[in-house]
Amino acid sequence: MAVTNNLKVFKDSAWLGWQMEANWTDPFLFLTYSIVKPIAGTLILVLMYIVVTGGETANAFFSYMYVGNAMYMFVAEVLFGVTWVIHDDREHYMTLKQVYIAPMNFYMYIMGRSAIKIAITSFGVFITILFGVVALDVAIDLTSIDWPLLALSLVLGLASICILGLALGGVSFLTAKHSIGINEGLAGVFYVLSGVVFPITILPTWAESISRFLPVTYWMEAVRRGMEPGVMRELADTSGYDVTGMSNVSDLTIMLYLLISVGVFFALSIGVFRIADYIARKKGKIDWTTAY
Amino acid sequence: MPHAVETQSLTRIFRPKKKKEGSVVTALDSVDLRIERGELFGVLGPNGAGKTTLLKILSTLLLPTSGKAYVAGLDVEKDLTAVRERINMVSGGEISGYGLLTVRENLWMFSQFYGIKSKEAHARIEELLARFGLSSKAKAKVRTLSTGERQKMNVIRGFVTNPEIVFLDEPTLGLDVNAARAVRDFVMDWVQSDRNRTVLLTTHYMMEADELCDRIAIIDGGKILACDTPNNLKKTVKMNTTLTLSVYGLGGINGFDNIPGLNSYTSYKDVESGTTKLRFVLEDESCVSEIVSEVVSKGSRIMSLQKTEPTLEDVFIKLVGRGLA
Amino acid sequence: MTESYLLKNLRAVRGRAYPRLIGSTREPSWFIFDVILPLFTIAGYAYVYKFLDARAELIGYVVLGGAMTAFWLNILWSMASQLYWEKEIGNLPLYLMAPISRMSILAGMAVGGLFETTIQAAMTLAIGAIAFNVVFSLASPVMLIVVFVVTMIALYGMGMMFASLYLLLGREAYHLSALMMEPVYFASGFYFPVKHLGFWAAAGASIIPITLGLDALRQIIFPGGTEDAFLSLNTEVALLSGLCVVFMILSRYALRYMEYLGKTTGRLTLRWQ
Repeated sequence: MAVTNNLKVFKDSAWLGWQMEANWTDPFLFLTYSIVKPIAGTLILVLMYIVVTGGETANAFFSYMYVGNAMYMFVAEVLFGVTWVIHDDREHYMTLKQVYIAPMNFYMYIMGRSAIKIAITSFGVFITILFGVVALDVAIDLTSIDWPLLALSLVLGLASICILGLALGGVSFLTAKHSIGINEGLAGVFYVLSGVVFPITILPTWAESISRFLPVTYWMEAVRRGMEPGVMRELADTSGYDVTGMSNVSDLTIMLYLLISVGVFFALSIGVFRIADYIARKKGKIDWTTAY
Repeated sequence: MPHAVETQSLTRIFRPKKKKEGSVVTALDSVDLRIERGELFGVLGPNGAGKTTLLKILSTLLLPTSGKAYVAGLDVEKDLTAVRERINMVSGGEISGYGLLTVRENLWMFSQFYGIKSKEAHARIEELLARFGLSSKAKAKVRTLSTGERQKMNVIRGFVTNPEIVFLDEPTLGLDVNAARAVRDFVMDWVQSDRNRTVLLTTHYMMEADELCDRIAIIDGGKILACDTPNNLKKTVKMNTTLTLSVYGLGGINGFDNIPGLNSYTSYKDVESGTTKLRFVLEDESCVSEIVSEVVSKGSRIMSLQKTEPTLEDVFIKLVGRGLA
Repeated sequence: MTESYLLKNLRAVRGRAYPRLIGSTREPSWFIFDVILPLFTIAGYAYVYKFLDARAELIGYVVLGGAMTAFWLNILWSMASQLYWEKEIGNLPLYLMAPISRMSILAGMAVGGLFETTIQAAMTLAIGAIAFNVVFSLASPVMLIVVFVVTMIALYGMGMMFASLYLLLGREAYHLSALMMEPVYFASGFYFPVKHLGFWAAAGASIIPITLGLDALRQIIFPGGTEDAFLSLNTEVALLSGLCVVFMILSRYALRYMEYLGKTTGRLTLRWQ
């Protein structure tokens, strides 16, 4: 019974998320919007690369960077979306309190809203990778993709992002609606520490140690091994050292690390959410308004 | 001196952007109104009658589709700044300002949009806060206020700019008895303290309109159906006054037949308590004293007496064909 | 325009700026969210340059660009979409009913936002510069102030224009602002010298004041900044000054037109569109 109810909440909140995200304009404009934003974000990195290297994109590091950046969209968009759900429901539509007191699983509500964000972002990620392969020589070979590894890592990775979103949703109860802030910033933490566009080995030792606790680090590694195994091998060979810091770790071990870190973060996120939820109720912040 | 408010065939039609978004709505249909200076004028009507549309046009927020509207003799379509200097508006349930400002800061901020010097603004704010019993909340953040406190603050916001004409759009909506009473008392005092002050109040509370307003316009479907003083409006209802008496020890009822002005009567005796309930339908209210004399002359004791007159609700039902609820 | 009308409007500017000035101090979380967390994005791009073994100036550009994103975000989320937001939370009718120029409300938002954001950006810049050992070489403090001021006037003028154009939008406002983040970071060269986009692309992007502003700032405060310049410093200052005038005029007309349109259609105070 509980499972049925939770699935219904998930489905309904995903539907609501879709209405909020997509029905503000006609489908063509929405499609354009969904393409322009991620491509532009990627082009920033491409231009930075070109400024330094002079434009040679047919190499392993560029592909490494490009794919990481494309996959990172999931992190950025979901974390952005979850914070926005809380702030928008609370201060704009002023429905957060009604949703909050409804006899349903609030986690499922956030998950449902996040899921639709993932669905929409998937399209952007696909277009970005396609653009990279066609226009920028990103080395993805359909015949060499390790599909089981890619599929499994995608499932676990996306789950980990939703879990992080849950914690962020809780924290958003307690935070004011600043210009934009928390979502962009927290996504930035993962951008730096999770080997998204550069290997974690370039970070200071203390930062690298933190990286090794984050699920997104293992997700990035696993997705790359699944999607572009040739690139990962070439990167290890040409660098002459363990450039990713995980070259000698097997796929199975990486997946195990990912699973464990997802589990730990799941427990942490539930904890953070509950504490934040408790503080929000204690301080009367469930339906406060903070715009200025 | 020009009227506080004057409208001439004021019409406002809302057309949907796309057909599927609904049909054309005539929110105001050839509305003619004249409100004198010093009046507390009510517009009474159900939800969707056109009350808020009227106020939006008068407060320069919306343009009419046709017709004219003047506030203090100024054209609301052309003399924007001059109209705005003379008016303010308060709506029921409004959430104005910013939750993280204090009550005092919020009120001061709005006063600045009317160019009031800070010192003067603060003096008025303190005075009005005291009048509404909100002085202790001056430093409280707006988001911490209760609904009643918040609405009192909103009312202060509307009056702190010292307007000549105030538009109140259902100002007591959702307030408890005490908070609503405080708002009504203030509005009444404010308008009575200076003959140049005018209030245009929209409401769907009959009692509020009856108690506060010098004149009332009843609006429905964008049309003004009647406009007069509450008493005159009630007189238009052809409904007889009834008198209900609860009497102890009544011997007989024969004596009532010959009382002039009495239309009919009924009686019901409660054997257990020994009381008789008499209900008289009066054609002429002057016969009340004769009825009472007749009862007393029979050696009976009057336990209770209740006279029922037409209400604004009866007026409304007569004009609109349905109640407000 | 009488003096009293001018004074009234100045008071209105002060009134609207006040919540912005006081707002951030009332919610101390801004320091973490608006100063510390953006440093991670800066760090991300800085490490990319480090990994590519890029010259030191490029890391400096990233720190400067990252700090300047605060202004662009402020324009998008606290200027452009602000009147839309005010409509949604019920303040807009009260602003529009006030006997002052609407430009004063926008100017108040801009002044308050600019002050608040300058503090954020300065802190981000300072912390970023220390963290990544950025070397500055301030050639002309006066020119720095001139460039900053004209850039900000032009930028906030653009924000005021956007605010007017957004006035009748519903939820599109949020999506439109979201859409103008990454594409503008890219086109305006927040993290690389804009001249690398090519002359015509950079010229097109220069309609956004921060493009020329960033390029000019790079020329003033970085040792090799002039070599990465898109146009000469004086040309950029002249163009930025022109943009100040253009956006102020456009914002005035846009506001007047959109208000008229809103009052005609009745959408000006319609919430939850």
